[in-house]
Amino acid sequence: MSTETAAGHDFHIVGFQVGRETYGVPIAALHEIVRVPEITAVPDAPEFVEGVINLRGKIVSVIDLRKRLGEKKITATRRNRILVVEHKGRLSGLIVDSASEVLKIPAADVEASPKVLHESELNCVTGLGKYKGRLIMLLDVSRLLDVSIRLRKSAVVEGKAENARAAAAK
Amino acid sequence: MTPFRDDPGAEMRELFFETSQELLQSLNDDALKLERSPQDGEVVRSIRRTMHTLKGDAAACGFKELSELAHKLEDALAEGSAADAGALVQLSLSAADIFSAMLVAYRKRTTLPDTTAIKQMVSKLASGPRATRSKRKATTSKNSGVMWTEGERKSAGAAKADGKSIFHVVAYLDQLCAMPIAARQMVASQLASIAQVIAARPDEQSATHAKKFDFLIATSAAESTVNSNCVIPTVISHAECFPHGVEAAASADIARGGAKFPVPTEKSGVAPETAGPTSVAENILRVGTERIDNVLNLVGELIIAKSMMQQSMQEFTRRYPKDPLRARFSDAMAFQSRVLNDLQRSVMKIRMVPVEQLFRRFPRIVHDTAKSCAKQVKIIIRGQDTDVDKSLLDAIAEPLTHIVRNAISHGIENPRERELAGKDPTGTVQLDAYHQANQLIVEIKDDGKGIDPVKLKAKAVKENVISAADAERMSTEEAFDLIYRPGFSTAEQITEISGRGVGLDVVRNVLMRMKGTIEIDTTPGQGTTFRLKLPLTLAIIQALMFRIEHRLYAIPLNAVAEIARAQESDLHRVDTTEVLQLRNRVLPLVRVGQRRNSELEPRRDKIFILVLNLGERKLGLVVDALEGEEELVIKALDDHTVSTDLVSSASILGDGRVVLIMNLAAVIERFTRSGTDVSNSGSLPRATDGAAPEVRQ
Repeated sequence: MSTETAAGHDFHIVGFQVGRETYGVPIAALHEIVRVPEITAVPDAPEFVEGVINLRGKIVSVIDLRKRLGEKKITATRRNRILVVEHKGRLSGLIVDSASEVLKIPAADVEASPKVLHESELNCVTGLGKYKGRLIMLLDVSRLLDVSIRLRKSAVVEGKAENARAAAAK
Repeated sequence: MTPFRDDPGAEMRELFFETSQELLQSLNDDALKLERSPQDGEVVRSIRRTMHTLKGDAAACGFKELSELAHKLEDALAEGSAADAGALVQLSLSAADIFSAMLVAYRKRTTLPDTTAIKQMVSKLASGPRATRSKRKATTSKNSGVMWTEGERKSAGAAKADGKSIFHVVAYLDQLCAMPIAARQMVASQLASIAQVIAARPDEQSATHAKKFDFLIATSAAESTVNSNCVIPTVISHAECFPHGVEAAASADIARGGAKFPVPTEKSGVAPETAGPTSVAENILRVGTERIDNVLNLVGELIIAKSMMQQSMQEFTRRYPKDPLRARFSDAMAFQSRVLNDLQRSVMKIRMVPVEQLFRRFPRIVHDTAKSCAKQVKIIIRGQDTDVDKSLLDAIAEPLTHIVRNAISHGIENPRERELAGKDPTGTVQLDAYHQANQLIVEIKDDGKGIDPVKLKAKAVKENVISAADAERMSTEEAFDLIYRPGFSTAEQITEISGRGVGLDVVRNVLMRMKGTIEIDTTPGQGTTFRLKLPLTLAIIQALMFRIEHRLYAIPLNAVAEIARAQESDLHRVDTTEVLQLRNRVLPLVRVGQRRNSELEPRRDKIFILVLNLGERKLGLVVDALEGEEELVIKALDDHTVSTDLVSSASILGDGRVVLIMNLAAVIERFTRSGTDVSNSGSLPRATDGAAPEVRQ
């Protein structure tokens, strides 16, 4: 697959839906896309961490991207998929509502994400792509996972502080 | 290993670090043997051989200080062999300590430990007997420790009988000479032209870069002729020649000998012994554990694949019960699973080492500890041949040492007390290891005074560990549990060895991490037995699977003492803890999950209680349903996104499901931490979103 065309640089994006929005990740960041198998929940995990799955003998942790991106209504359908990405040498899964298309977006049609997004926790959106009249949010997966880990850690720390408080109160 | 990867000597040094451990161990062993039988000359020789090997190996690796020290000790031992055996024992033991300190320093590339103390010991030992030694022996050893073998001495004697004079020629290599091996050859041929060379040190085979050469020659020429013949400009700076058997100018020689690089001596004489470790190494392969672990992982995958196939097979049987292919499939699978079992066992065996590797350190530990406590203790070691997973062995080394030291300093009484109690004044510590079912049992048994629960309680009350009222209610077992409390010690006075109260709690933590348990068995006045129970391997476990709130969990089967059926209505609340009465015993219960606020939700009628064995204590884990028992291949769950201490690892079942293996120690810890207020579920595992996990297609 050539990435260079006459028009210059193209972004090869795997598009997926979370709620009503379409997001995209660079195809190179993706390990594979699988159907949602049975997920084993892990105790003590933050809400958006769904659990672990067995990916051909490897145990892979799964994050529900819908919860992570603040989607309110979560429905389990047959179209749900897990995007398996590699992050720091480790595989992680992201549950999305559906994923089906590979989009080729010319570099000229990609804009930097608005500043307002940088300050929020959603700073994993790195750009906005325009594709046939649709707006596609480009995600930086490693940043997303880094933030998730950080969230997770702070949750644990809070939990510990809570315990300490509870112990002190006694 | 990585710091000196590019260094050609790195591999050799690594090997030296490993083999030297064995040498130090045998040094320790021999020293203790010598203490028991001071007249045994063979032991002294063995110590010398060890020193010698150490010296040579260290020199080869460029560890000059170690090599020099070993050289000095070897000399001292040669002279002092008839000296006070006690001093020799002490010297050998301190030598072993200092060597191991030096090795650590070399390895970590830090400053070497101070060796003046041991050097003083050496010179003290050497100065005593030297005056009384026979002249001849003193000479040979003073000539930088050159020893001629029996055969060489005989041929020298024969030559003497022929009317020739025997000389010992020492040729010193010129500092500018670049070819020491060639130089030796040149001197040898020079000497050969005027005399018969009986022996040479270093001998022809040796490739050691010596700075001086020793020759034993028989000649009819005069001393001065020999001397002038030896000196070769720019190769040999000067040579000394003295008749064999006559003392030379001792002081000058020592000054030189001491400053020179150590020369391997007695090479041929003890060849069979010194060659021991190296020749054994030929059919032993040193393989990094990570490689073996890799193979083990693959075997683990195969086991998962096997259960996948078995499951498909069952499905197939259900669908096509009459298909002729079915029988062939099941035959093939039976064969495959048999081979797989063998494969697994063989791979596990690679990781197994006899427990002796650990136990052999203990005579020394017992010796030292007993000495510093002024007690007489002997050690009995049994079950050395029991095979144990290497990682397990490494992990229990420290706990075991601790318990043994404890047994000596707390358990075993003074010789006086023992005699008064009608016991042998020498106490006994017994180490034993054996397999039982799927477990390794290590027993540490002493015949000391035992642990008195009443005293224990009194001490605990005094130290404010528990209240007097609590002590009153405490059962004997609970009282024994006190010794695992951090900061608790029954020793009347704190010694260097034990009594700081840092100890058994650490021991227990280590065991819990290894998924093992510790038990105490004690009879006042008769002794105490500590029993460590550990799973044989950490890679594959026999597990019991169960569900709590529709979630699948597994725990090691050996942690489960029994399984009881119960109804929710059978459970009672005492204080804030739920308990179950089980055959006249009250069993405290633990619940994992949200339904701990059981009042809020409808009660499920039938439940199961897994009675867990945690050392002396028993606890019941409330589970909703049992799923059966399976052999699980443990996979690490070290992903940051999902890491939690409640789950120690995960495994994959034959049907592809992931099962989490519960970390019982952490569950119990949380339980006891929040145990006074069970309804406060804040710190306990909560379900994601409260709902049962959705099952998706």
